[in-house]
Amino acid sequence: MTGLAILGVLSSALFSGASLLYATLGETINQRAGIVNLGLEGVLLISGATGIAVTSLTGNPYLGILAAVIAGGLTNIILAFLVVTRRGNQLASGLALMFFGFGVSALIGRAFVGLKINGLPRIVVPGLSNLPTRYVSLLQFDILIYLAIPVAVFVWWLLFRTRWGLGVRAVGENSDTAFASGRNPHWIKYQALIAGGMLAGLGAAHLTIAYTLNWSEFMTGGRGFIAIALVIFSKWNPIRAIAGALLFSGAVAFQLLLQASGVNVSPFLLDTLPYLLTILVLMLWGGSRKYAAPASLGRVYMGTE
Amino acid sequence: MLRKPLYSLFGVLIVLSLLLAACGTAETPTDAPAEPTAPAEEPMEEEPTEAPVAEEPMEEGPCLIIGALHGGPINDAGYNQAMHESVAAIGENIDCVEIIEAENVPEEAGAITTIENMISEGAGMIIATAFNHQYPALELAGKYPDVIFEHAGGWEMSGNFANFFGEPPEAWYLMGVAAGQMTETDKLGFVAAFPIGWTLTFANAFHLGAQSVNPDVETTVSYTFNWADSAKEADATNALINQGIDVVTMHVDSPATVVSTAESRGAYSVGFQSTHAQEFAPEYWISGTGYTLGDTLTWLAGNVIDGSWEPIFLRCGLWDGCMDMAPFGPRVPQEVQDEVMTVSSALESGELVVFTGPVYDQEGNVVVAEGEVLGPDLMSAVDWLAQGMIGSPQ
Repeated sequence: MTGLAILGVLSSALFSGASLLYATLGETINQRAGIVNLGLEGVLLISGATGIAVTSLTGNPYLGILAAVIAGGLTNIILAFLVVTRRGNQLASGLALMFFGFGVSALIGRAFVGLKINGLPRIVVPGLSNLPTRYVSLLQFDILIYLAIPVAVFVWWLLFRTRWGLGVRAVGENSDTAFASGRNPHWIKYQALIAGGMLAGLGAAHLTIAYTLNWSEFMTGGRGFIAIALVIFSKWNPIRAIAGALLFSGAVAFQLLLQASGVNVSPFLLDTLPYLLTILVLMLWGGSRKYAAPASLGRVYMGTE
Repeated sequence: MLRKPLYSLFGVLIVLSLLLAACGTAETPTDAPAEPTAPAEEPMEEEPTEAPVAEEPMEEGPCLIIGALHGGPINDAGYNQAMHESVAAIGENIDCVEIIEAENVPEEAGAITTIENMISEGAGMIIATAFNHQYPALELAGKYPDVIFEHAGGWEMSGNFANFFGEPPEAWYLMGVAAGQMTETDKLGFVAAFPIGWTLTFANAFHLGAQSVNPDVETTVSYTFNWADSAKEADATNALINQGIDVVTMHVDSPATVVSTAESRGAYSVGFQSTHAQEFAPEYWISGTGYTLGDTLTWLAGNVIDGSWEPIFLRCGLWDGCMDMAPFGPRVPQEVQDEVMTVSSALESGELVVFTGPVYDQEGNVVVAEGEVLGPDLMSAVDWLAQGMIGSPQ
C-alpha cells in the first residue's frame, strides 16, 4: 500500500504540477525582463478555452495545444502594448488583463462546456510497460509532462547562457544600460512577454487538454496566482521553479491521500501553502543581493533620450 | 528603493489570494455553482441575448410565460443541464407555454434582477433551480403575489412559493449494488464537493448498496470543497485511483471531469446529476443516475395554467419518473444488471428500504436503530458516514 501510495503522490504531483510549472516558467521570463504579469490567470483561461475549442472542433489535441500557445502569446501582446508601448502601470494593466481573461474565456468556452474532447494520448515510461497494471497506470504520462522538466532546463539555458537571455536580463535589471549597450529594451520586452505567454499557453493546454479533458468557467482556480508566487519562491530561477511547482502540487496530492486515509488536514490551510512559502523565502533571502529580484521589476521604462 | 516594486507586487498578491480564498470558502454548499470569482458582467451578458427571444412570440399570446433561471451553464453535462432539460420538457409537452431561460446566474443579487426582468416580460411562473436562489425567490414571491414560484430542492413554503425535487437515495443504493459487484479491488471512491447532509446521505446509500452485495467493500470519500473546480476534481480522482480504488463516483456539479479522468486511467465510473455523463466514459462506464423532472414540471405548469396550482412540498423518486438510471456500460455483465433490477423491484415494492436499522457509523455507533428507518426529513441533516467508509464526515 505505502509504496504504491507514495508513487501515487508523485504521479499526481507530476500530472497537476506540469501546468503550474509551464505557467511559472512563462512568468519567470516576463519578470526577468522587468515585467510583472498579474494577468497570468486571465492568460491561462484564454489559452485553455482556445485550446479546448480548437481540440473540440478539429478533434486533434496537438492543434489544440498549438492554438493555446498562440492564444497565450497574443494575449500577452495586449499587455506588452499597454505596459511597454503605452507605458501603463504594470499592476493595473495586469489586473485589467486578468478580468478581461475571465470574460473572454467564458465567451470562447461557452459552447464547449460539457463537451467531450480527445485528450492528449498517454505513453508509458519506456522500459516499464511490463510492471503490474496498477503501477503502469501511474506511470503513463502525456508528452507535455515528459517535456516539462526539459523545457525548464531549456528556459534556464536560454536566460543564463544565451545572448538573448543576457539581453532579457539586462533589460530587467536596467533598461537604460541595456539601451546604452546597443539593445532595444522595448523590442526585448515584447519578445519576453510573447515567449512567456506562449509558455503559459502550454501550461493551460496541459490543464485542459491533457488533465481535466473538459472546459468549465474559471477552471484555473487561482493557478495563475500560485505561479506568480512560485516565481518569487524560486527566486526567478527556472530550475528552482521545478522544485516549487512539484512541491506545491505534491502537497495537494498528499493532502488528498491523507484525506482518503482518514487523516484530516484542512485543505484551506493547504491552499495558502505557496503563499506561506513565498513569504518565508522573502523573509529569509529578501535582503540578499544574490537572490534579489530583477532591479527594474515593475518599473516603467520611459525610453532613453 | 530597489525592492519597492517587489513589495507592492507582493501586497497585491496577498490581497488577491485572500480575496480568492474568501470567495472560495464563503460559498454556500449548494447544488448549483456559486462561482466564486464570477465577474459582474456575466449575468448582464445573458440578459440582452435572452430578451429578444422573449419579445417575438408575444403577439401570439402564450397561455403562460415561464421564467427559469440556473446557477451555471446549461450544457454542463451535470446538474444545470438536467434542470434545463426538465424545464425544456414543459415547452415540448404544452405548446402554448413560452419559456424565458437565464443561465449562469450564480449570485443572489443577480437572481433578483433576473427574476424581476422575467416578471416584467410577463412571466406568470418562475422556476429557480440553484440552491441559493431560494431566498431571493421567496422575497420576490412576497412582492409579486400573482406570480407562482417553484424552487428546486428548497424547503420554504408560502401562498405562491413551493418546491420540487427528485429523491436520489434509492437510485444511489442501486448504483452501489452495481459498483459493489464490478469492483475487483473491493475499494470504491466518492469525490464530493462539501461534507453536507445530502452528500453524506448519497455516499452512505451508495456504500450500503455496495455492501449488500459485497461485504468486504470499502468506500473512500474525498472532498474538493468546491462545486465546480475541474482541476481539483481530477486531482481527487487520481488520488483515489492511485490508492487502488477501481470504481469512482461523485457529487459535484458536473460529473464530466471525474468520469473522464477515471476513463483515462482505466477505472470504472458511476455518474450523477445528469445521465449524459456516459459519453465521457465509452468503455469503463458502469451506470449513473440523474434528475429527470420534466413530467413533474409539466404537471405543475399545467396546474398553474388551469388555476388549480397549490403550494406543495413535492418530492418524487426513481419510480415516479423524477430520477432516471443511465444505460449500463459495455463492460457490465448481464448478471450484474439482473441483480440491480432485482434489488430495484424490491425497493420499488417497499420490501427493501435503503436506510433500515441497524445502521452503524464509522466508529461502530448505532445511527439508525434496529427496526427504525432514516426518513427523508432526516437525510439532509446526516453527519455520519456508514461503517466501512473512509474519510471524514465533516
